[in-house]
Amino acid sequence: MAIATPIGRGGIGVIRVSGPEALSIVLRLTDRIGLQVRQATFARVLADDEDEARPLDHAVVTWFEAPHSYTGDDVVEISTHGSPAVLDEVVAAVVRLGARLAEPGEFTLRAYLNGRIDLVQAEAVADLVDAVTPRQARVAVDQLEGTLSGRVSAIDQRLFDLVAKLEASLDFPEEGYHFVRQAEVVDELSAVQAELSALLADGRRGRLVREGWLVVIAGRPNVGKSSLFNRLVGTGRAIVTPIAGTTRDVLTEVVDVEGIPLTLVDTAGVREAGDDIEAEGVRRAVEAVGAAALTLVVVDGSAPATSEDEDVLRSITSPHVVVRNKHDRGMLPAWESLTTDVRGRAGIVDVSASTGSGLGELRRLIAVSLAGSDMLRDTPGISNQRHLGCAERAAASVSNAVAAVEAGGTEEVVLAELGDARIALEEMTGRRTPEDVLTHIFSHFCIGK
Amino acid sequence: MHPDFDVIVIGAGHAGCEAAWAAARMGCRVGLCTLSAETVALMPCNPAIGGTAKGHLVREIDALGGLMGLAIDATGIQFKLLNRSRGPAVWSPRAQADKRRYGAWVRDALSAEPNITWLFARAGRVLLEQGKVAGLEFEDGASVGCRALVVTTGTFLNGVVHIGDVQRAAGRADEPPTQKLAESLRGFGFEMGRLKTGTPPRLDRKSIDFSRFTEDLGDEPAVPFSYLTRAITQPQIACHIVHTTDLVHDLVRDHITQSPLYNGQITGVGPRYCPSLEDKVMRFPDRERHQIFLEPEGVDVDEIYVNGMSMSLPAAVQETIVHAMPGLEDAVLLRHAYAVEYDFIQPTELTLGLEAKRVPGLFFAGQINGTSGYEEAAAQGIMAGINGARRVQDLAPVTLRRDEAYIGILIDDLVTQGCLEPYRMFTSRAEHRLALRIDNADVRLTEVGRDIGLVDDKRWAHFEARHSRLIVNRYRLSHTAVTVEGIRSDAARALGRPRVTVDDVVRAGCVLELDEAREVDRATLEAECKYRGYLARHEVQRTRVERQSDCLIPASFQYHGVPGLSNEVVERLTMVRPETIGQAGRVPGVTPAAVAIIAARLAR
Repeated sequence: MAIATPIGRGGIGVIRVSGPEALSIVLRLTDRIGLQVRQATFARVLADDEDEARPLDHAVVTWFEAPHSYTGDDVVEISTHGSPAVLDEVVAAVVRLGARLAEPGEFTLRAYLNGRIDLVQAEAVADLVDAVTPRQARVAVDQLEGTLSGRVSAIDQRLFDLVAKLEASLDFPEEGYHFVRQAEVVDELSAVQAELSALLADGRRGRLVREGWLVVIAGRPNVGKSSLFNRLVGTGRAIVTPIAGTTRDVLTEVVDVEGIPLTLVDTAGVREAGDDIEAEGVRRAVEAVGAAALTLVVVDGSAPATSEDEDVLRSITSPHVVVRNKHDRGMLPAWESLTTDVRGRAGIVDVSASTGSGLGELRRLIAVSLAGSDMLRDTPGISNQRHLGCAERAAASVSNAVAAVEAGGTEEVVLAELGDARIALEEMTGRRTPEDVLTHIFSHFCIGK
Repeated sequence: MHPDFDVIVIGAGHAGCEAAWAAARMGCRVGLCTLSAETVALMPCNPAIGGTAKGHLVREIDALGGLMGLAIDATGIQFKLLNRSRGPAVWSPRAQADKRRYGAWVRDALSAEPNITWLFARAGRVLLEQGKVAGLEFEDGASVGCRALVVTTGTFLNGVVHIGDVQRAAGRADEPPTQKLAESLRGFGFEMGRLKTGTPPRLDRKSIDFSRFTEDLGDEPAVPFSYLTRAITQPQIACHIVHTTDLVHDLVRDHITQSPLYNGQITGVGPRYCPSLEDKVMRFPDRERHQIFLEPEGVDVDEIYVNGMSMSLPAAVQETIVHAMPGLEDAVLLRHAYAVEYDFIQPTELTLGLEAKRVPGLFFAGQINGTSGYEEAAAQGIMAGINGARRVQDLAPVTLRRDEAYIGILIDDLVTQGCLEPYRMFTSRAEHRLALRIDNADVRLTEVGRDIGLVDDKRWAHFEARHSRLIVNRYRLSHTAVTVEGIRSDAARALGRPRVTVDDVVRAGCVLELDEAREVDRATLEAECKYRGYLARHEVQRTRVERQSDCLIPASFQYHGVPGLSNEVVERLTMVRPETIGQAGRVPGVTPAAVAIIAARLAR
């Protein structure tokens, strides 16, 4: 049993009871109503004090019969009024009737164990709950609906068909069959390779959506880094979370830019502090730039370039956008020559952090340079590192298989690679493929003397 | 009860013979109970040993010190190395046997072993003392004491032979089944199942016009099964290939209602990899013709085995069908095809040591465990014999891992998954196929055989010499620079390239020590170099997986009440009682998540 709504006062509070005894417990808790499967039913919730049944609240009770429930067990949901006091009392009453409080994530675990959802879906539940931008939520919902699992299964199925034919060639060499020709093997593998590449490409986008990218603001002091930071945070503020790996010495915020969550890092603040901290701050700033997916190099467009500006511009060769700040004060023409033709440059934009002009263009440029211009297209894909790792392993094994075929390797070698590829795909969904290669062979070919 | 014997083996088929041999060589006094000296190591179905994956099993039996490899090398009449065009991991020997000579060879080997006593009698009842095996009562009421009993009764438990609507109780063609023993075993409450298998007709050689068929010859020179055999010296014969025709298919369809397989008379499940003629025609109507092999059952016998034509149609229909085959118009049927249904023990009743969980000291091996094939039977037989002896010697059972031997895969599959159809070994069942080769079964297993006292001095000396050559050769390959195909590299790397052979690197100046009489030294070196990357990777995976997989689950572990396990999973695991976490994961219906929960529980 668990409270399914957030802590605090709300309009309603939902208590979810799951397990074989869920129904009998809830029936004893209420004034013995007749519950119909999947029908919301009005009931009075009673506290079973010593000899007298004391009404606690009016509630709506819904019964989801196993296995057609979230967890796959019998589930009864009690929607009460949202007062924490009422919820606490109802929870206590349910516990007295023999239920226990679920551990965090236990319902999702039960759903996974009962085969209601696969690993991708289970992880999607957590992602959905944690989603801070609408796009994150969308990707999580797609995964929850099994879109990704379906896509992975389709690839796995294709590999499986090929594996079965190759296995048949090895185990039944005397049947007078040509189970599969080499050209067909190569064609099939190329098709699988293409599907995996597409999955990976979408996956990198998906990961960006889920985890956000590290975007660092760099530049010499007094060019307006902090103002820009505040501008970007102020308009696109999503949620404040402490980010692992960063410290209070470097200012960070999670910002929503065009639906993409960014971890925005300001390397400013530290610089103005004392000398000891400054050295440390500079080191952290350099580190942050190294790890960043994109760096915003801020210069003061209204002032002449200093040697420090030139050092910064020269030293950053990773992807970056040059932000010529203080646009409202007029732009010195000298900046034109200084800020063109540099490796890694993703664009130049003139902004004014104080007036806000050019900020829209900057946000668009950030989104485009991170995600590519098709970022705005919706493709359900992989969005966490574990999935990405599995897909990468599968893709590598399929490439090795292609290389093996081309080098004249025979079936057993190709199968060793494809076996690894399938293990990686199955790890992704956490599902073990129930089909048996031999069953597949016997149903398609007349084998045996 | 006085133990007259240490180990008694019931049945002298391929499982029973290996079991008796192994236990006897390990120092046990063995009683081998069978009906007749004439049916020892009989081949009631096809007159052949080996084939894909089966050939691997025979090499492993040989490496452990078993009989089968030596027996077929001495009596085989046509040898082939299957999958020669592919890599060494899937090469597999197969040989046609002279079945009479094969049986006689095995019988003579067992008779010459002083620790074996023949008990020519019909087994009746398993005798227990304090819940453990104490002896065997024969059907006539006499009894003998023993400490371990190995049951290898094949298809004799409630066997029923079907030819059309003619049914009779029999374990094989004309041999009565074992009723009393069946009752005794049933009394222990074992879960039983029913399977079906079949055998084709036998034709009289003299009535066949062989000039009309394609000749099918063996390899020259023949590759033997045993590591000890230098060369096959007996004369070799040809088989012949025939094809079915539309007329044959029409006849099968016309008479299909008379087939017990198709009219409901047979309920047992048959092997899909060995379909009857009825199945071939009915299930694969698009196939224009099916391949049929005519295989002599011996050099000087008249019986020709019609491989690919097992059926259970009435005798008269069988004659019509055979005569419709081009070239067989005048063929005389010496024996009709038949289907046989029989009971088997669900092997989930057994431990990885093939001992019944319900009855300490009682072992099962062979077709009674739901397998098909002489090689699968012999592989279980040798392990049951070994573990029967180990029980008598109060030593822990010997089990082989899935990454160590096909025998390990066979037994793990049986006791973990149980049988739904007759179980046959395939190379696709092996997760570590590239490591489990016919060239290295000795490297994998001969030391195991030596440690338990099964490998004799002669075999051990032979292996030690071969093993030291292997070590020297590995060193030389990786420390000699050669130029092959115009590329300069160390010899190991050169040999790793697809079309480079051992002889190529020898010609290029790498001096190797090779047993020129045998293929196996070359094959091992080639395989190790060609598969080097894969073997290394699998080794990494194996050790990673092994840490968890080898984690033992105590026999007393209670699945009931473990939070997170579904009732179905609890039920399956309670029945199978896996011995390791790895085995638990292979029990049907057990999800990876459930395994994780059990592992976490054990870690506490």
